[in-house]
Formats: sequence, C-alpha cells, structure tokens
Amino acid sequence: MRPGPRLGLESKLAWRNVWRNPRRTALTVAATVFAVVLVVFSVAMAAGVHEKMIDDTVRVRSGHVTLTGPGYLEELTLDHHLRLDAATRSVLESTPGVDGYAPRMVSFGLLSEASATRGVLVIGVDPDREEGVTSLPTYLKAGRFLRGAAQRPMVLGERLAKFLSVDIGDRVLLYSVAYSLESAYDLFEVTGIMRLPEAQMDRSLAVIDLIDAQSFFVFGDRISEIAVLASEVDAVPSLVLSLRTRLDISKIEVHPWQDVMPELEQILFLDDAGMYIMLLILVIVVAFGILNTILMAVLERQRELGVVLALGLSPASVFRMVYLESLLLAGLGLVAGLAIAIPLVLYFQAHPITLSGDMAQVTELFGFEPMIVWKLKVMNPIGSTLTILGVAIVTALYPALKASRGRPVDVLRSL
Amino acid sequence: MLVVRLAWRNIWRNTRRTGIVITAVAVGIAGVLISMALNYGLVYTMLDTAISTDLGHVQIHARGYVDSPELARMLPNDGRAALRAVEDEPRVAGWAPRLRSEGLVSSPYASVGARLVAIDPRREASVTLVADSMVDGDYFADEPRRVVIGQAMAKRLKVGVGDKIVISAQDLEGDLAGEAMRVGGLFRTASRELDRGTIFMRLEEAQAMLGVGVGLSEIVIDAGSRVEAEHLGDALAAALPTLDVQRWDELQPMLVYMLDATEQSAVFVYLAIFIAMAFGIANVLLMTVFERVREIGILMAIGLSRSRLVAMVVCESVFVTLVGLLIGYALAVAGWYWLRDGIDLGGFAEGLNAYGMASTIVPVLRIEDFTVPTAVAILTALLASAWPASRAVRLKPAEAVRHR
Repeated sequence: MRPGPRLGLESKLAWRNVWRNPRRTALTVAATVFAVVLVVFSVAMAAGVHEKMIDDTVRVRSGHVTLTGPGYLEELTLDHHLRLDAATRSVLESTPGVDGYAPRMVSFGLLSEASATRGVLVIGVDPDREEGVTSLPTYLKAGRFLRGAAQRPMVLGERLAKFLSVDIGDRVLLYSVAYSLESAYDLFEVTGIMRLPEAQMDRSLAVIDLIDAQSFFVFGDRISEIAVLASEVDAVPSLVLSLRTRLDISKIEVHPWQDVMPELEQILFLDDAGMYIMLLILVIVVAFGILNTILMAVLERQRELGVVLALGLSPASVFRMVYLESLLLAGLGLVAGLAIAIPLVLYFQAHPITLSGDMAQVTELFGFEPMIVWKLKVMNPIGSTLTILGVAIVTALYPALKASRGRPVDVLRSL
Repeated sequence: MLVVRLAWRNIWRNTRRTGIVITAVAVGIAGVLISMALNYGLVYTMLDTAISTDLGHVQIHARGYVDSPELARMLPNDGRAALRAVEDEPRVAGWAPRLRSEGLVSSPYASVGARLVAIDPRREASVTLVADSMVDGDYFADEPRRVVIGQAMAKRLKVGVGDKIVISAQDLEGDLAGEAMRVGGLFRTASRELDRGTIFMRLEEAQAMLGVGVGLSEIVIDAGSRVEAEHLGDALAAALPTLDVQRWDELQPMLVYMLDATEQSAVFVYLAIFIAMAFGIANVLLMTVFERVREIGILMAIGLSRSRLVAMVVCESVFVTLVGLLIGYALAVAGWYWLRDGIDLGGFAEGLNAYGMASTIVPVLRIEDFTVPTAVAILTALLASAWPASRAVRLKPAEAVRHR
C-alpha cells in the first residue's frame, strides 16, 4: 500500500523551512508586500478615477442611461424624437435604481453678439428637473440658472461668453434651422455663466429653457432625449434591462452611457490595459524574486533532500513540501500586503487628492476634474490574491520539480 | 581594479542565481521601455495629428487673434507684410493662407455648427494633410462653389458628394450671410473634432461671402519638422514684430503638458519596478555574502581594506543590475524594431480619435528615454548593496576565517 499524502508533516516541514533563513524570507516577503500594495492601490485608483470620469461625463452629457427616439444616436437630428408622456413618466418614477431624470432638446445654432459669431450646441432643459440629475447647474459661476424674470433666458459656457464678449444681462442672437426647416432666430438674455471642466464644451455650449427651445425650434412637445441618472455606475446594466422591459421600445430606445459615448468606454479600456501591463511586469519581477529564493533554498539543501528521499519520503511528498514552501512565502506576502493595502486604500477613499500642475492641466484638457479618488471594489483584493497565488503556483513548479527529482544515490555519494 | 575583477568573477560563480536576477531586471526594463514607447507613440500621434491636420508648425495672426478669433481681427494690410516675410524665409517648407470663421451648416435634414476654414487648396496641401485624407469625391476639383467636409459631419447632415448644403455665417458688417454650396469631397482624419466640425471652402468664395475683400485670418507654415519649427518661429517673430507669430506648442500648450505628464508618470513606473527589483538583488547579494563568510575573512586577513570590501559588494550589485539593464535595453530596441510598423488599434479608433490620437500606434523610443531607467537602476544597485555590504564589513577576520 502506498502511503497517502502526509499533509500534516509536509506543511510543518514547509513552515519550518520558510523560517530557516529569516533574512531571506523577510526580503522576499517584503518584495511581495510591495507588489500587493502597489497592485491593490493602483487598481483601486483606476476604479475610482474611472468611475468619477464616467459620473462627471454622464452628468454633463446625457445621464447614465439615455432614452431617445428610434435612430437618434446614429444621426442626432431633430427628426428622431420622443415624448415624455404620462406612461413614460410613471415608468421612470416607479423603476427602482432611477435617481432622477431630465428631458432635453438638443440642436445646433449660431450665436452672435455684435461682430463675434460662434457655432454652438443648444440644449433645452427643464430647469426644475435638471437640478440633481445633471451637473450643469452646479457649474454655474455667476448669475442664475435659467430662472427669474428674464424672457428667453440663456446660460453660456465661460469661454463662449468671453469669446462673444457678453456678460449677464446682455442679449445674444441665436440663429438656427427649426424642425419645420424654416430659419429660426431670436434674442436670448444671458442670465448665467457656467465654468465647464471640458474646454471644448465650455467653448460651445448654450443652455436654454426646454419650453423656449420647443417654441424656437417649432418642436411642439417633442424632446430629443431623456437623461436618466442611475444610483451608481455599476447598476447601469440592470437598469437598462429593466427599463427596456417596461418602456414601449418601438418608440423609445434605452441606451447605456457606453452607447452614447463609446469613445469614453474605449479610452477607459485602453487606460486599464496600460495599467494592467505595468502591474503584470511588476508581478513578474517579484515572481523572479520568489523563484530565486526557493531555488536557492532547494539547491543549498540538496544533501538534506537526498537524505530525506533515501529515508523513504516519496518524491511527491518532497514536491508538495517545496511547493507549500513557495505558497507559504507568497501567502505571507499576500496577507501582509493586503493588511497594509486595504486600510491605505480606505484612507485615500475617504481623502481624495486634488491634482495640480501639468497633471491637472492634462486632466482638464480631457474634460475631467483634476482629482484622484480611490474605490475599493470587492473584486480588487480577490483578483490581486488570485494573481499573486497564480504566479506563485507557476513559479514554484520548477524548484519543486528540481527538489523531487534528485536521485538519493547521487546526492548521498557526493557527501 | 582588482576589486572590480573580483566582483565580476564573483557574480558568475552561481550562474543560475545571477541569471535569474539578470532576467528579472532585463524583462522588467524591456517591458517598461516598450510600454512607455507605446505610450509616447500615442502622445506623438496626438501631436502629429494636430500639426498635420490643422495646426502646422507655425502660425501668423494679427495681435490678439488667438485669444479672441473674431473675423474682424484679420492680418493687417491683407497680410502683405507677413506673406513677404514668409516668402523671404528659406527655412519655410510650405505655407498657406487661411480665412477662418464660425458658421452653421444646414442640409434638408439637420444643421450643425462648424468652423469655416477658407483655404487656397493648392497651397494648403503643402502644409496639412487634408488633401491626402479624402475618402470620397475630390479635393477641390475644377467646379466652383464646392466645399470639402468631414465624413462624420456628412453623416450627421445626411449628405454625400454632390449634395447641396447651406452655409450661414456672420459677415464683416455683422449681417447674416448664407450661401448654398455643394459637397465636393469628404475627408476622414484621426481627429474627430476636425471630422465633425470643420468645413473647408475656397478662399476667394469665402472672402466674397464674408465681405472681407482679400483679407486673411492666418498664415500656416510647415517648418519641415518640430525641431526646425523652433528656429523658424524665432526668425519670423523677429521679422514681424507687430504680429503674433506662434509655434504649435504655444498655440496648443496642452499637447506639451500631455508629453510632460507622460514623462512624469514614467519616473513613477520605473521607481516602482526598480524597488521591486531591489529586493531581489539585495536578497541575492546577501546570500552571496553569507555563503562566503570564510572567504571574506581570508581576504580581510590578507589585507583587503574594509572600503575595498564595500566597493567589491557594491560593484557586484552594479554589475548584476547593469548587465540586466543592457540586456533589457537590447530586448527593448529589438521589440521597438519589431513593432516599427505600428500596432493597429483600429477597434479603439472611436475613442482614440475623440482625443485626436491616431489608431495606429508606432512605438517611440528616444535616446533620453534611457536616461531615467539608467539613473534609477544605478540608484537601485547602490541601495540594494547597502545591507549586504554593511554585513560584510562587520565581519571580524579572526572569526570569519574559522566560520564552518
């Protein structure tokens, strides 16, 4: 009868072996701890920053989920429209996970004042609904967001206002082509100026009241889109599904933010890919360190292993023992690493960092607030653990094989 | 010299162990260098896209035009002084006059805001690449009243080559001018902004429509290369003191910030990777010191001074790191050469083009990209040898020689 695995003995031996050279073990574990902390920290940072980017962008643009008329996203013209009728309203109000919604009308126009003219994106919004759904009102720097006594109020991006040299109280001429294909022009009064983080948007956005927009563009009670705010980014897919089942999808298309801004999804994916490549290189470097430690531990013990084999410990047992040694080494680093990384990330999650200098300029160029936030998702420590263990399992193979393959006779002869 | 030779021999005493450390350093360095090269590639496509589609290397404007680009702020005297200076300057590789304004472009289906860029088609082709980026129709063939627009804008307006569009813009008097034109051709570049929002017209037609005589907003100049642009910009600025002469990096400082930010992040990445390596290097050095206690004792006993002993350990560390570094550099250069035709990220074109980056990424490896890793590597080698060296010098020769 062959003896079964004596895991008790093997693990005891492995544990003792790990501590035979505490200095070496400490250095190897330190390298692993460093890698684990860096991996967990970077992944949490990317998760936080990306989620913030998505949240910031959808709040300026069309919400986490956008409802549009059929075909609107392909062409973005007034021909594709929808209506916010009672049925749609009740679905939006009764669906769990909807934090708010705002109807909008979107078109283009020429805005001019004296000799300055600029092509602008005109968005008609319902000021009461917009509050809390999108962040446009929060970017207001001066004046009021479409409220007050002014007839046909308009809110402009700061750079646009500067370009047109207009200030609050000034009137500007909006010219465009209406839904009826006739020319439309009218004077609007600037009641507020916003400072939008994305420069391109800040240069070209004019916000007016939805009611004024519908009459200016002869659009009746039609709208271009309904921006829906989800309770959180991760809940978007399930929200899209439940809205699709509850709304009349022959008249209303339900789009997650990825449909509206595929470029954002792709850029985030590339950013993630770049980060994971760097982290992989880091983990490989650390893996070589573990490999070296175990291999040295095996080579300097060749005689001892020979003796153990000669005494009757099976090669499989020796293999398991050395394997366990590697896993223990990696595991120690992992546990210590997580013990440092998790509180660290939680601290930064509560205390985000505001960037300055070149980094700030670049993030603003891409239209995002120059802020680094962290978010620890459950998958992060789990994924890091699996990666480090996976790498350890692969690296340990060579020394473990080397240890169990030694022929006792050769080893004992060399004594 | 003796110490150096000793150190070199020592590192090859256990080839397997040294080999693993060297491999770790080489793989780490090569990986980071290639990744950074691709990163720089991405940033440089952004620069090149901006320069080759719109910006040029140097632009000449009337004072203050860039801050408030109004139609009325044209080059004084129809740009005569500027044109003369440009023609007299031998370093100019190509130049083109432009008139710019903002307008609304309408089709029977939709209207979009657009930048009107009125050009001399032949001259423009010597500076920017729009003429080479046509995907349909042609670039200003003989018929008059033809415009060239981006494919993305055409899609939005639901028009194709030969269809009529109406361009509305404010003229010099402040009145709204409208002209019906036909789409002569469609272009597609790596810049979404250009493709969605720019309409190219013939210079004379735009000048007539906007009532500006033969006025010009800007002169765009190709200097041949980004490096040449610097000297050329300075020379033209000196020749034209009353005008604004600006280089691409002054017109779009963000592009430079982008490059700087990438360089800064590279330093962090190298630090992280090398700290991870330092543990491995220190570990191996420590092992070599402890398994040579006796030998070190003998060396000391026969007169090797403590400072030379430290030098020996430090040299071992530096050798291991440098050999790894050089192999890493060789691998990186090989990888760079292998990827020289670029990596096609066509699947991500939408995202990349949205930020003005091309979807084929050619890795960019510059001489200066080797300075940071070399510096960090030497620092790492010194750091990693500190502990082992300090253990070695603390050995007492008398006890060490008796070590088992």
